[in-house]
Amino acid sequence: MPPEALSPDALFGLTGPLTLLGWAALCAYPLAPRAITALALAIPAMLSLLYAALVLSFWAGATGGFGSLAQVMALFDQPEIALAGWVHYLAFDMLVGLWIVRTARDRGIPHLIVLPCLPLTFLFGPAGFLAFLILATALPKRTSA
Amino acid sequence: MTALPLSAPLPGLDRLRADAPVFTAATLVIALAAIPLLAAHALDPRLIGAEGVWLKPLKFHLALAVFFATLAFFARWMPAATRASLPWRAFAALAVFCTAGELLWIGGAAAMGTTSHFNIASPVMGALYSLMGAFAILLLSPTLVMGISIARNRATGLAPALHLSVWLGLVLTFALTMVAASYMAQTPGHHVGTPVTGAAVPLMGWSREVGDLRVAHFLATHALHGLPLLGWIAARTLPDRAARAAVILSALAFAALTLGTMAQAMAGRPVF
Repeated sequence: MPPEALSPDALFGLTGPLTLLGWAALCAYPLAPRAITALALAIPAMLSLLYAALVLSFWAGATGGFGSLAQVMALFDQPEIALAGWVHYLAFDMLVGLWIVRTARDRGIPHLIVLPCLPLTFLFGPAGFLAFLILATALPKRTSA
Repeated sequence: MTALPLSAPLPGLDRLRADAPVFTAATLVIALAAIPLLAAHALDPRLIGAEGVWLKPLKFHLALAVFFATLAFFARWMPAATRASLPWRAFAALAVFCTAGELLWIGGAAAMGTTSHFNIASPVMGALYSLMGAFAILLLSPTLVMGISIARNRATGLAPALHLSVWLGLVLTFALTMVAASYMAQTPGHHVGTPVTGAAVPLMGWSREVGDLRVAHFLATHALHGLPLLGWIAARTLPDRAARAAVILSALAFAALTLGTMAQAMAGRPVF
């Protein structure tokens, strides 16, 4: 039996600080682009490891599925699967955040301008992505040729 | 993945970007940001009065996109040195920053299912309302600054009547909007009187029962469209002296109409 320290609630508690660390680093991206890229890849990698472990262990015994909204809701009724879903959000939202800061740098968009997209992506994932798409469409691309 | 097919070229966009980069970017962001609000409007069941909560934010996005597109267009008639100067660029950025604040306030209130304008229900909303009033004046003020800059620019290459109509339209927008909007901001709402049937002008929503201060506000903000259009027609159809006289007379008539509709609204009478 897994120890109490690895219960869904305990694991949920671990993911919080780790995620905040990654997002704080992304906000400071221009200060150390390579190190922060490495961090913002490593944290999703760790979260993905947790996700894989959860799915390998608990998917087979889960009820529900992906066929309808009701089935998805049934899936998330189980703590371990809900945790996996949450970890999925955390991992992929952070990858979107990394993509945003790197794409902004490549297109010559000032980091301060895209900064609000980061907390938005952290809290409301796709909304932050949409906000950045709007900025990247509206602002001219300045590549140092 | 960085070679995204974004920033598709639009005719005339390069000119606007060159003359007024901040205003052009603002136009595009404000217009594109309306798309998710439109999607929200399709899904959200909540109402303010009789209309969906997202209608007001959508109107503001449309109006402000048109406003900044207009300013970006007129910027070509400011001296190039002024446009390139740091004070102007900082001022333009400030106006856009204030606009972002306004739209976040209006959209945020809608997301929370409440009103933005005239909402002083809580200390936070009351303080925000005052701040947004200051922001509104700041985002309006490029009309005054650009009007003066264009007026003093002898090298616009424009026919005199058209030149007159552009800067006069900008200055008039500033002056009349300050009058109409500042007054309205101090009243409890845009209606003077209490509507019973809710009869309104289609699309604009102006009351056909009681006084509606928004009519004067609308006319005031569009001086910078109406007067230049008139000036353009006058310059093409009349000799120079007559064309300029036509512009001045039109400006006076427009101001009279705006103040007249404001007086009409203040007396509690509907626009028609």
